[in-house]
Amino acid sequence: MAKVELKGVAKSFGAVRVLDPIDLCVEPGEFVAFVGPSGSGKSTLLRMIAGLESVSEGDVLIGGEEVTFAEPSERGTAMVFQSYALYPHMNVYDNIAFNLRLAKRPKSEIDAQVREAARTLRLEDLLERSPAQLSGGQRQRVAIGRAIVRHPKVFLFDEPLSNLDAALRVQMRLEIARLHREIGATMIYVTHDQVEAMTLADRIVALDDGAIQQTGAPLDLYARPSNRFVAGFIGSPKMNFIPAEVIDGTRAGVGLRLHAGDGTSFGLGALKSAKAGPVSVGVRPEAIRLHIAGGTPPAGTLEIPARVDSVERLGNVTYTYIDVGSDELLTVQSGGDVQLKSGDQALAAIQPESFHVFDAAGKTILSASAAPART
Amino acid sequence: MATTARIFGNKRVGFGQWVIYALIGIAGLFYGTPLAWLFLAGTRSGSSLDSDPPFTFGSFEQMAQSWANLASFNDFQILNWALNSLIYSVGGVTLSLIACIPAGYALATSDFPGRRVILILTLVAMITPSQSIVLPIFLEMNLIGLNNTYLGLILATGFFPFGVYLAYIHFSDSPPKGVLDSARIDGCSRYQLFTHIALPLARPIVSLVAFFSFLANWSNYYLAVVLLSDDKIYNLPVGLTALVSGSGALTNLAATGMPIKKPEVILAAILVILPVLVVFLIAQRFVRSGMLSGAEKG
Repeated sequence: MAKVELKGVAKSFGAVRVLDPIDLCVEPGEFVAFVGPSGSGKSTLLRMIAGLESVSEGDVLIGGEEVTFAEPSERGTAMVFQSYALYPHMNVYDNIAFNLRLAKRPKSEIDAQVREAARTLRLEDLLERSPAQLSGGQRQRVAIGRAIVRHPKVFLFDEPLSNLDAALRVQMRLEIARLHREIGATMIYVTHDQVEAMTLADRIVALDDGAIQQTGAPLDLYARPSNRFVAGFIGSPKMNFIPAEVIDGTRAGVGLRLHAGDGTSFGLGALKSAKAGPVSVGVRPEAIRLHIAGGTPPAGTLEIPARVDSVERLGNVTYTYIDVGSDELLTVQSGGDVQLKSGDQALAAIQPESFHVFDAAGKTILSASAAPART
Repeated sequence: MATTARIFGNKRVGFGQWVIYALIGIAGLFYGTPLAWLFLAGTRSGSSLDSDPPFTFGSFEQMAQSWANLASFNDFQILNWALNSLIYSVGGVTLSLIACIPAGYALATSDFPGRRVILILTLVAMITPSQSIVLPIFLEMNLIGLNNTYLGLILATGFFPFGVYLAYIHFSDSPPKGVLDSARIDGCSRYQLFTHIALPLARPIVSLVAFFSFLANWSNYYLAVVLLSDDKIYNLPVGLTALVSGSGALTNLAATGMPIKKPEVILAAILVILPVLVVFLIAQRFVRSGMLSGAEKG
């Protein structure tokens, strides 16, 4: 268990800056996920911690020790790669034992370590196999076994589940969570899949465009995204965005007009002041209710006329895509089934408290105050 | 075409496939004919070669007789040359492997000053005809006193830029970057990366370089004829050429009385190409085998 500190760590390739200076502290035993789209610099950052990529500026400290220029093997880290990266000419046993052999450990100790790792990862029956004879999930378990026997201070995972099929991914996700519970080591996990980040991490670092956008607990990022990027990236299905305009700031709070429907306007009491001009309003798919015209909505509810574009029924949950006259279709998530079909007219009911408001630059100026209503 | 073939059952071959088979057949016939002739001619007597149709099969007795004439000539000197050829080839192949494989690996995986220049020079050396540097090599060997020695020819043939280039191409994408990264984290030094990971996975390229190097060395005539003047250390191509031209078998001059006639000359040619065929059959298995399966996804 060790603390990982990044102090102003930046990366440039020639004149091209791919990662802005980053300050980050990963506490001992913490599970941190770097999440972001491809090209966000998350893998580069991880590889700099591993020592596989040189650091252009700043310092990397592991366990309080300065390792910015140390060889990868001297940092006490172990890494699991997306591509598994097993040694194809060695069987499973030799793959796991390779590091210990390089370190010239006694044979009996190597054997004990390898067998223990194999037991933890349920690989005992596969030790004589070559990597070519293993399935994807088994290969990734071997790769994790190779990491475990090093007893690293820090585990680094570079999109370890991306090559696995959906069912296996869920299973391996649980195994990684169990591994973290059992050995309690510091883990840094890179993924573009926000579900993996949400389910595994104690803390998420959301990266985009070579810079940290927000750091925080998964549900914090979900409930209080600091900008439009994080709002859109965390959460599945992703948050709906509706272009809007600040119309005046004179009544209690700020008035907003949506560029949707017939230009619905409403006041947001929680928003004390805002410059007039374009903003965007975000609303989670589960915060929208759909109902057929008629009936009286609860007080304060906004109702926007909508046309149902398509309906996806997954059994336990239904996604309805509705057209409210804004640029993009809105996604509505409801539990169970809905009695709507493509082409139907309906009303989309939204509590104004569930709106997130972002300024023109994408920065959050208001987070939703209402917890999404239960269905 | 393919769909028509499928409609009428799998046995029907489409027009496109006919064209392909026809082309393969024509090419096989065109390029295979001389080889077939050579192996058939090895069984024929001198008079049969002069008068019978080109593709007549002689007899194995005749072949044995020709072989006896060729082999026993001058106290089995031809076996001595064959042994010499083996020494030159094994020496040349070993030396070129020791140089080419690590050189290709270094050029492909590390960035060091002068890397580009070395790569360009390798390509230049590769396309330079070896004949054009025979004289400088001769003078150089003369200078250091290695002319007319085993070591001299082996040293000269150890220079094998084509092998360096082949190895460079191979190591450019093998082993996969992730495997090398993972070995670095596991604690491999740069040297161990090569010996523990890259080299064990490089059997196809080692076989390929060895094969091409063997091919060049086994049939090496020009450099050998320049560097070697003592017939005791001749290799097969030089020795056989000396023998054949000395016997007058291929000229219409008066017979010299040596038992080296056309049938013996033909056998000599077979003797040179046969080991190449055998080595190829052995090497191709390793060249083709997928050494990397299982390393990464797939």
